Amino acid sequence: MMNKKKYAAMGAAVLLASMSLAGCGSNGNNAPNDTASTNNATNNAGNNAATTNDSTNANAGSTNAGATTDTPKLTGDFEVQYFVGGYGDKWWTKVIADFQAANPDLHVKALGGPKINEQNKPRWIGGNPPDFVYIDGPELNDRQMVEDGQLEDLTDWIKDAKNVDGDKILDMLAQQPQQFDGKIYNIPLVLNSWGIFWNKALFKEKGWQEPQDFQQFLDVSDKIKAAGTTPFIHTGKYPYYINGAFLYPAIVSANNGDYKVLQDMAANKVEAFESEAVKTALGKIVTLRDKGFIDKASIQINHTDSQMLFLQNKDAFIPNGLWLPNEMSKDIPQGFDFGFIPSITQDAGQKIVANTSTATVAIAKNAKNKDAAHAFLQFVFSKAQASQWAELSGAPSNIKGDISASNAPSFVKDAAKYLTDPNTIVIPTITFNADVDKAMQDATDALTIGKIDPAGWVKRVTDVVKKVAK
Amino acid sequence: MNNGIRNPIVKFAFYAILILWGLSVLYPLLWTLLDALKNNDQFFRHLPWALPEAPLLWSNFSYVWNKYNFDSYFLNSIIITVGSTLLGLLLAATTAYVLARYKFRGSGALYLLYIASMMVPFILALIPLFFLMNSFHLINTKIGLILVYTSSVLAFGIFVLVGFFKSLPKELEEASIMDGASYFGTFFRVMLPLSQPGLITVAIVNVLNIWNEYIVGTILVNDPTQYTLPVEIGVMQAEMQYRTEWGPLFAALFFTIVPVLLVYIVFQRKIASGITAGAVK
Amino acid sequence: MDGRVRPVVLREFYRKGGRVMEAGSAKWQRNLFIASFIIPTFVFFCVFTIYPVAKGLYYSMFDWSGMSQTKDFIGFGNFKEMFRDPIVWRAIGNDYFLVVGKIVGIMVLATFFAVALTRFNFKMAGFFRSIFFIPNVISVVVIGVLWNFIYNPQIGFLNAFLSLFTDEKVSITWLGFTNHTIWMLLPPAIWAGIGFYMILLIAAIQNIPASYYEAADLEGAGQWTQFRRITVPLIWEQMKVSILNIMMTTLNGSFVIVWIMTEGGPDNSTQVMGSYLYQMAFRQYHFGFGAAIGVLILVLSLITTVVLQRLLRHETVELS
Repeated sequence: MMNKKKYAAMGAAVLLASMSLAGCGSNGNNAPNDTASTNNATNNAGNNAATTNDSTNANAGSTNAGATTDTPKLTGDFEVQYFVGGYGDKWWTKVIADFQAANPDLHVKALGGPKINEQNKPRWIGGNPPDFVYIDGPELNDRQMVEDGQLEDLTDWIKDAKNVDGDKILDMLAQQPQQFDGKIYNIPLVLNSWGIFWNKALFKEKGWQEPQDFQQFLDVSDKIKAAGTTPFIHTGKYPYYINGAFLYPAIVSANNGDYKVLQDMAANKVEAFESEAVKTALGKIVTLRDKGFIDKASIQINHTDSQMLFLQNKDAFIPNGLWLPNEMSKDIPQGFDFGFIPSITQDAGQKIVANTSTATVAIAKNAKNKDAAHAFLQFVFSKAQASQWAELSGAPSNIKGDISASNAPSFVKDAAKYLTDPNTIVIPTITFNADVDKAMQDATDALTIGKIDPAGWVKRVTDVVKKVAK
Repeated sequence: MNNGIRNPIVKFAFYAILILWGLSVLYPLLWTLLDALKNNDQFFRHLPWALPEAPLLWSNFSYVWNKYNFDSYFLNSIIITVGSTLLGLLLAATTAYVLARYKFRGSGALYLLYIASMMVPFILALIPLFFLMNSFHLINTKIGLILVYTSSVLAFGIFVLVGFFKSLPKELEEASIMDGASYFGTFFRVMLPLSQPGLITVAIVNVLNIWNEYIVGTILVNDPTQYTLPVEIGVMQAEMQYRTEWGPLFAALFFTIVPVLLVYIVFQRKIASGITAGAVK
Repeated sequence: MDGRVRPVVLREFYRKGGRVMEAGSAKWQRNLFIASFIIPTFVFFCVFTIYPVAKGLYYSMFDWSGMSQTKDFIGFGNFKEMFRDPIVWRAIGNDYFLVVGKIVGIMVLATFFAVALTRFNFKMAGFFRSIFFIPNVISVVVIGVLWNFIYNPQIGFLNAFLSLFTDEKVSITWLGFTNHTIWMLLPPAIWAGIGFYMILLIAAIQNIPASYYEAADLEGAGQWTQFRRITVPLIWEQMKVSILNIMMTTLNGSFVIVWIMTEGGPDNSTQVMGSYLYQMAFRQYHFGFGAAIGVLILVLSLITTVVLQRLLRHETVELS
């Protein structure tokens, strides 16, 4: 349940346009339609399987054309494990079918579903895991899998690996793989950003200024509060929302835009947690709290409830991810117009900070068919598959592309503007140790309801860090 | 013979409490049904007790029924629930009877072992259980689930039935033995029928627990054709969280509640008429 | 089996002398009967419950993430760490709060309903009896969703209801107090638990010979006296079973409702041992530590059972 949100269907079908994504350019005008079709799809998902197969056959020919010429023939069984969350499974069924068609002698087996991580867990423990894994959803954590020695070291292979079209994979990635002790085990497939949302239409109607920095945010929140609306709601049941979209960017801003501090935190360095930057950032949460800006309901509600309240204009701002508009698309009231900024905690004149989050793919260390797994990586990180990902899952992939789609909803343009702006500091995805992460979430919750002060936050978290680092 | 409460005020108060509690348990059922007929918008825009707006979204029911193979989940669930409940009753009742009536070396320890096993959080057993079933080649089979579920309800059955057998008068079986019946005959012909209320109580609880169980099911079954109803609901609920399809989710929940409710009502009658006070003494 | 048992029978025979031919075979029959009723159940139980559970508990001696193929034996390391963890202590406190709260709440109401629906000749008693069981029929998932909805501060049932009586809209965060949030989990737990214990007690009351009550009636004893003098003593065994069962199911089962409603939060204020076990074993990758909590649950349950049995036995003497 932890990272539920990340998997939620993302509205940013088009942000991909900016940040990433080639394919979009090629079928130009699809952004809003994409979103729509993703949702409608739920209504006829029953016959999914059939349609998928049809389209597969249509495409298979074109995909495998130049693909498999120089690689040796792949044979045997090849198992792919993929978690099915908000992105759905259309892309996975498609890409697996395509790969199967390109490698007729290979027996590709898809192991997918919303509970697959739990269902396959015994196999990972037993040393008999699937060959290829998409790391997403609850109960899978890349850092933990690396520590447990479950993942194949890809450092050497990825250095000059080329995809099926002959392009160097590393050059195509919008965000580079995370390194664990200097080694690479997993490659980001999906890219996303945290940030703060509001309703532009409401702001216009009420004459509220859309904030660009923390002072403006406080000023407009005063006005909003005076007008009888609660300024800020967050998902207290899963505090990683407010951490990801508010606290971490705030820490980076307070550290003069250097995200090294977050990486040091992820490396369990106690000094990083005790730094001034962390205290300043926590102070900003305290400011919100003491000014009464935080909706009291926040502490106990989950993502769906908080997002609904936000959509009903009961609250003005919500920390969330770019998937929000698409996830809630069925429930967006007429005239609602998303405004978005990756961070709201910078001082006037400071750069904006975008905290990104990715979902990655990896090969099992005990994979039985590593050749096929490598070939599948080369297959997946191609422009064709990236554009299919955008089409079928309505989310940005991690593959760079030209930026041309233009009839995107306004929030996507906002997001695109920020993320491609050289003045934006883009934080690469950081995975914290699970214990430390939980401690930070609990402490942030406690901070928002006045149970502890920033010093208490630091004390609690560093206690855990010390224990973990031992 | 007894004419109940005489004081009208007390009687009224008692009725009031009964009715209030009745409402508190009936309302959720109604709520589940009503919410199955709503769309998301209505969930959040209206007061919690608001009725669904016209047109009622009966389509949520057909959508769920068609999208998922509910008929086969039902069948799997019924086979597994009935199988493990019956097997569990037989195994629990026999042991419980002996533990309640006969002393032998280690009988006390055995009873304690069963009771103690109820105090262990079963989720710890999940991972070893998977490897065990895997080595028996019982993953993704109904038999596998039946065996595990049967075993998981034994302790509770023994716990309740030992108490029940103890509360039955000894004279009956003594008389039966005197009449020349064997131990087995006495148990099956005299004691088992007498313990019907206890058996039914245990059966009901077991049926409910097994019918609603999904954690073990999720681990031991990952072939969709072998899913039980709750496993499917668990999977569905996990999916729905990413789509916020609350109406269909409630429709699915309603599908799972209704059959258990019907079964319960049938058994409930049996309890009421099954045993009369006079039969015991 | 034959070969083994025979010598025993023979020894019996020689020891007790001639008269025993008949008694010996009776004893043999009795033992055969006991064995045939005990052994199949026991074997079954050992394979499918004892073995996996014991193996799971055994992991409490290891530092194991639950995913890795390597497990490091660390003896009692997990236990030492466990007792230093303040959240464990809070979880224990919350668990016992729920145990006491549920025993009192469920037993009072379930006994009341059981008596009211059997002894008072109420109209529609059968109907009430049927519907009161409904919460036990509903899956915990629905119960969790339902009560979350009741407690929702903005769109929930409870605040909307309270707002009917106040000028200003009530917006209490029922599941977000800085302390004592665990109190809010008691109503759903009691609500969901009553039906089964009511049925158990009804079955017991129906087993009480009507003549007892008739005699009491003739003597002019009121309902309260009949309840105290006849009903309670005669259903005491079932009440004891109920209390013990509530205690046990709470200590190792309350995590389901906790997990569905609050996941132990906010800030661990509703954490119980079971939910913390789940959190540590499956969310924070400390399966060994989780198993140690499992051992803790087992030990505390055993101790509590012994204590409760003492207390309740004492009570019986007083009452009868």
